[in-house]
Amino acid sequence: MKFLENITLKKKKVDEPVSVKNISKNIDENVTKIKNELGDASDLFINFSKTNDNEGLGYVMIYINTMVDSNIMSDLSIELKEILKLKPNISKPEDYGDTLFDYFSGFRSCSQGSEIADVCNELISGSVVIFVEGCSKFLSIKMKAVQARAIEEPTSQTIIRGPKEGFTERIDINIGLIRKKIKSRDLRVENLSVGSVTNTTVSLVYIEGIVKDEILQEIKNRISKIKIDGIFDGGYIEEMIKDDRYSIFPTFMNSEKPDAVAGALLEGRVAILVDGTPYVLTAPALFVEFFQVSEDYYHNFIITSMLRLLRAVALILTLLVPGTFVALITFHQEMIPTALLISIAAQREGIPFPALIEALLMETTFELLREAGIRMPKAIGPAMGIIGALVLGQAAVEAGIISSVMVIIVAITAIAGFGIPSYEMSNTIRLIRFALMFMAGMLGLYGVFMGLIVLVLHVCKLKSIGVPYLTPVAPKINGGNKDTIFRFPFWSMKYRPAGISGTSAARVDGDETVTPSQKEKQEFR
Amino acid sequence: MKKLLAILSIVPIIFLSGCWSSREINTMAIVIGIGIDKTESGYLVTVQVLNQKAIASKKPVDEPSVILYSEEGKNLEEIMRRFTTKTSSILYNAHLRIVVIGEDVAKDGIKDILDFFARGHEFRTDFFFVITKDTTANRVLSILTPFEGVPGMKMFDSLKNSEDTWASTKSIRIVELVNDILADGKNPVITGVEVTDEITDNKMATTSIDALKQTQVTNRTKYFGLGAFKKDKLVGWLDEDESKGYNYIIGNVKETVGYAEYGQKVKITYEVISAKSEIKADLVNGKPTMNVKIDIIANIGTVDGEFDVSKKENEKILSDIAEKKVKLICKKVLNKTQKDLKTDIFEFGEVIHREYPKVWEKIKDDWNNEFVNIPVKITVDVKINQLGQITKPFFIKEKE
Repeated sequence: MKFLENITLKKKKVDEPVSVKNISKNIDENVTKIKNELGDASDLFINFSKTNDNEGLGYVMIYINTMVDSNIMSDLSIELKEILKLKPNISKPEDYGDTLFDYFSGFRSCSQGSEIADVCNELISGSVVIFVEGCSKFLSIKMKAVQARAIEEPTSQTIIRGPKEGFTERIDINIGLIRKKIKSRDLRVENLSVGSVTNTTVSLVYIEGIVKDEILQEIKNRISKIKIDGIFDGGYIEEMIKDDRYSIFPTFMNSEKPDAVAGALLEGRVAILVDGTPYVLTAPALFVEFFQVSEDYYHNFIITSMLRLLRAVALILTLLVPGTFVALITFHQEMIPTALLISIAAQREGIPFPALIEALLMETTFELLREAGIRMPKAIGPAMGIIGALVLGQAAVEAGIISSVMVIIVAITAIAGFGIPSYEMSNTIRLIRFALMFMAGMLGLYGVFMGLIVLVLHVCKLKSIGVPYLTPVAPKINGGNKDTIFRFPFWSMKYRPAGISGTSAARVDGDETVTPSQKEKQEFR
Repeated sequence: MKKLLAILSIVPIIFLSGCWSSREINTMAIVIGIGIDKTESGYLVTVQVLNQKAIASKKPVDEPSVILYSEEGKNLEEIMRRFTTKTSSILYNAHLRIVVIGEDVAKDGIKDILDFFARGHEFRTDFFFVITKDTTANRVLSILTPFEGVPGMKMFDSLKNSEDTWASTKSIRIVELVNDILADGKNPVITGVEVTDEITDNKMATTSIDALKQTQVTNRTKYFGLGAFKKDKLVGWLDEDESKGYNYIIGNVKETVGYAEYGQKVKITYEVISAKSEIKADLVNGKPTMNVKIDIIANIGTVDGEFDVSKKENEKILSDIAEKKVKLICKKVLNKTQKDLKTDIFEFGEVIHREYPKVWEKIKDDWNNEFVNIPVKITVDVKINQLGQITKPFFIKEKE
């Protein structure tokens, strides 16, 4: 794995063990070599031409048909012919390479080289390679086809208010989207290449001066150590460079939304973009981040604080409700108010399963429904809803195998589970919920708390790129809690998160940065 | 190796500690009420067990919501275990709401019974004690109740509500009861329960589910007042007025209703919305005397007869007659306890103990006799808060 300082211009080395041979002056020889290297691929197009129909200077255009934009290929071939025609005075054929480079580099991204291996790399990344008879250099012109989805609204992270555009599968568009948000000289983009076979472009995006250097270096280090044949999503990187490899807690945030990523960058985080996926990782990620959404910052801060509190409640509910319920009705019946106990006892009359089995049965059914629903063809979707209502609803109760209170417990758990904004975090909580349910079924509340203690210890131990996972709560950072469970108004959130950002400069500072309306407010005070 | 040691030491912590008593709710017989009567051989214990099937069913069933089991034996623990020979499941006592003690048992002393309830690990401490009057605990527990289908729950709720809004009862839990018995200058009271129209009616009627099909059944359980104890033995009963007086003196009245007469024709009903009392001891010639100060805030409930409550000069009359009335019922209960029952249920002893510990040391041993002769001064202060939604009665104006 090597750094590609700049893929478009200065590509020097390759990782594949190809025979390092220079280009010869003979076109046919070169073409044969390339054909050998690429295994005579059927989509490899080789276009021999001469400047004056059948005589004159011979040259060849080579490209992989499926990678280039065929619409402008014809333009390019005409242009090329004209230029070669117009420059008959060049005495040495060697100079044609430089002439063409000078001409095309003005408006197209192109590069020169003299090694066969480079030629192959250029071809597979969507360039047109040109050989001129008698010239031992090649010219490659980027003609990569723009095969991309339009910028659409993200499907997995929908919002009510705020920017609705989402990332696409193309990394350059994604970087452009971020640049559009942050028009700063300090925004840095560094390209890496990961995957010995796929050579996937991975870009690190950060803001110089805000990012903490140690964190940035650590991320670079870890990514450069990845040895894998290919990656297709940030998930690969996340798993390869995670601090605690066996933890089920996500320690990288992913987002489909440029505004969320831009917000993270402003706080000093590093964005990791992977070509071919619309999900952008940001690191370091803290536990509280998984309960925040970009929309939080677009709404009134009091409303947002309340919503975040609600999400905290959702976390507690989805984690603890089934376990606590099982513990209460199998071990600690004395803790249930008498009227409620009578009601539960009445409902459980005639239920053949112990409470734990009953809870597991229902929770598993729900998880099954959820899993099936994700991959269900859209046309069959409604059928799923009907079946779901049957197995998780009144029918199950009337069949006498499930008590109706358990249906309610499962429903509360499910709703609360969807209340957690991050899909990764909600999956994690789902799994822990089952563990706590087992503990509750075996040991009662004692087991639930035992599980919770282990859970808290584990989360306390976790780190995301060296930053403790529970920052700013544990370790406590004074003033750092302004954007955790409660969101303080922007004028009071003066500083960036201390553990993450490398700068101590204020975000909202002095008179220069306050908006006129805030000035007005200050005058009123 | 270290990891293995850590695991080996943590695993036993998880699996060798308590909380193993996993029990499914449907395998338990939930006991709501326990009744204890005296028999020749010892005790007759009646348990009121929840009939889950009757409550669960959405369709009406011909089954009562509770089932009674009775068992005789020498001591309570033994009897409770012997119930397994009659029931399909083990009795679960944590949700016990009410313990009904038969009058005979109460007269003989309830020490042993309290020991059983205080010692058992399954009992919570939030259930109430009541004593029967002129009937048995078994009979009280057997009477079915409408609305609240579980009779034990009904008795529990009714006791709480009557204490809060009528003030002739007092809910007492095990901790308070044991403390009252143990304290030197204090004796407990327990609310008494009776069955109405016991003699005249068909006794079977209300124990059958048919009772719930009628709008009016004469046999009902009813709290009528307090039973006064001397240590752990029942010595006598206070009627409704006396019970209210007792609650006024100890400051246990939250809300109640009372009336006072003015002259021959006017009768005014007061709605007491707050009552506080302060008991203090004074030394007069080295002898303790008690001062009870009762502060009452009341609204006017009804005015019977020609009396214009809205007039300024009548305001004082209103509070004066109320004060007199409250004083009267307080005196009545004091008289009864000092002359008849000779038991200090008001904690006067404890008050002296707190304020004059040295004097208390001298009279402590003979407190029961001292109490009988102790002078008690009662001052009542009634404040009228509101006259109600109308001021003077309608009918006065019509006559003018």
